[in-house]
Amino acid sequence: MPEGIYCNKQPVTTEEALKALLSDTRGTKYYAEMQELEVDREKLWATIQKTFKSRMQTWLDVCARCGLCADSCFLYLVNDRNPEQVPSYKIQSTLGEMVRRKGDVDGAFMRHAMEVAWSRCTCCNRCAQFCPHGIDIGVMMGYTRGLLYSQGFVPWELKIGAGMHRVYRAQMDVTTEDWVETCEWMAEEQQDDWPGLEIPIDKEDADIMYTCNAREPKHYPEDLAEAAILFHIAGENWTVPSEGWEQTSLSMFAGDWEACKLQVQNVYAAIERLRPKRVIGTECGHAHRATVVEGPYWAGRPDGQTPAPYIHYVQWVAEALREGKLKIDPAKRIRQPVTYQDSCNYIRNWGLAETAREILSYIVEPGYLVEMTPNKEYNYCCGGGGGFNGIGKFRPMRNKALLTKRDQILATGAKLVIAPCHNCWDAIRDLEEEYHIHIDWSFLKPLLLKMVIVPEHLKPKDEEDEE
Amino acid sequence: MYAFLTGPMLWLSFAIFVIGCAWRVVKYVKGLSWQLDRVPYGYYRELAVKGALKSILHWITPYGSRSWRVKPLYAAAFFLLHIGLVIVPLFLFAHVMIVSERFGISWPTLPAGLADALTILAIAAGAFILLRRFALPEVRIITTAHDLWIMAISLAPLVTGFVAAHQAGEHNGWLLAHIITGEIWLIAIPFTKLSHVVLFFCSRAQIGVDFGVKRGGQRGRGIVW
Repeated sequence: MPEGIYCNKQPVTTEEALKALLSDTRGTKYYAEMQELEVDREKLWATIQKTFKSRMQTWLDVCARCGLCADSCFLYLVNDRNPEQVPSYKIQSTLGEMVRRKGDVDGAFMRHAMEVAWSRCTCCNRCAQFCPHGIDIGVMMGYTRGLLYSQGFVPWELKIGAGMHRVYRAQMDVTTEDWVETCEWMAEEQQDDWPGLEIPIDKEDADIMYTCNAREPKHYPEDLAEAAILFHIAGENWTVPSEGWEQTSLSMFAGDWEACKLQVQNVYAAIERLRPKRVIGTECGHAHRATVVEGPYWAGRPDGQTPAPYIHYVQWVAEALREGKLKIDPAKRIRQPVTYQDSCNYIRNWGLAETAREILSYIVEPGYLVEMTPNKEYNYCCGGGGGFNGIGKFRPMRNKALLTKRDQILATGAKLVIAPCHNCWDAIRDLEEEYHIHIDWSFLKPLLLKMVIVPEHLKPKDEEDEE
Repeated sequence: MYAFLTGPMLWLSFAIFVIGCAWRVVKYVKGLSWQLDRVPYGYYRELAVKGALKSILHWITPYGSRSWRVKPLYAAAFFLLHIGLVIVPLFLFAHVMIVSERFGISWPTLPAGLADALTILAIAAGAFILLRRFALPEVRIITTAHDLWIMAISLAPLVTGFVAAHQAGEHNGWLLAHIITGEIWLIAIPFTKLSHVVLFFCSRAQIGVDFGVKRGGQRGRGIVW
């Protein structure tokens, strides 16, 4: 059973292996080895028998082949209605075949299935809303990814991403020391403008424990500073854990089920250790899906809930505005055409559409909000969800997929897109770079900071003296 | 022949249908993953039941779901076909008469003209769904022989029954064909995709629970999935 040095069935579990895989620029050798990678048919069939339950079996069997899912899929629509992009076809020709052939498939089949699973489905779950039988192809594609991952057929970046979670319990090489230092650095940096601002680490029994996306400490730590400033203004008693602060899960995108569980257990352990009243996650969709929606199930928690109530950032913002913890200066509200990008993971799959609208009612001058069509739970994926954004091999397909969102935004005439989700934010940034439609895009934190009223006692002393 | 088909064979067909369907439901429930599929309805029974019922009711109501509303023509065909296959046989005068003669129980029946019209509409709807399979590339690509077979099996009792009802004489060939095709249809249900007779409710309930408990229902927005 030939397995490559880079491309093989083993998950990445050491720092050395991670570095070696990273050194293979763009995965050139990795994908070359994948051409030779063989399928362990017995193991594949054994995995299917053990994990493929009656729910998905029924979905595959009773699919009426009515095609109602076709028009629900933005990838079908944006790819000129190519019948091979019909959700039912995508799953029946991959997972369906694997099951019907009892795992007797070859490398070429798996490579094709890999392309379908990661470049023709973003696991947005929109088709589930349109299927008379309630078949959720996104869920099945997520499962298919797990089978492909277990056989080594996974895009290079996601093999690395899952490995990062296994090695660092974060999607990037951010160690506990890096994280703690970043928190201290950000708190220190704000002292001139925000005297007394803290980023309390490992404070027990706080009201709030905050978790984030490793990209924030790694690439834009100002996001962490902004979160701290907003908690500071709102007068919240909050903390971050030194361990278990990373909320995202590239392992979910990769289909690495074991790493998914390890990752969320790390966060849950922090919750149990610090006993916060509740946990607030950053402006990220898939992180919320992984840690709050799916995580409790992965971890086998009997009530399907996280150890403490765990809310999305938009829920905290809506609450802070409603309760007056954050007050908006009416003169500084958004006065240009603006639209909101509803994220699949916390809007469609967690019901926060109206919570987001509540925020908009505070921060947008009436008359300036233009909704996308369709919107809320029925919105289309940004075009880069489910890991699609990060896979170099599928970049051309991803860029094509962005056209849906581009056209939705153009139809609103909005100049600003509010996108409180890392994946959506990236996709919209990329579509601007690719198609130049002259729009701006933003998370909530920087917008709020521009318009929030700062209580007198929090302002720096010398500024007051000048007045 | 006629006595056998309306006697032991009819009983056997019904038995296979009922036991087979029950077996499909048991197999479905027992085959679920405790960890991934069953937690929500074990722990949040009230929300789960609400989510399941809502999901089922909105989808068996004409134009009750968004999907039905965005595909009005297909929805019409879908409901006409199912009314012809489920409602008409249950409330058909000739069928109720047989039950009444044998068991002495009866229930209201459809006027003959309405039953005829619904039967014709159901056959037309079935034909439309078949034609659509070949006309639309997005449906053609996913169509299998199985899908054609089950449509044939389902339409056969309607066509033969309609012709038989409008022929003179009691024991004509069409009636015999109607009984045979009806029995084939009943027997086929548990073993083919027609098992959606029960599995639709399992699958629909499951996604209703999933969205009603795990994926948003706890935040109380009345969306129907």
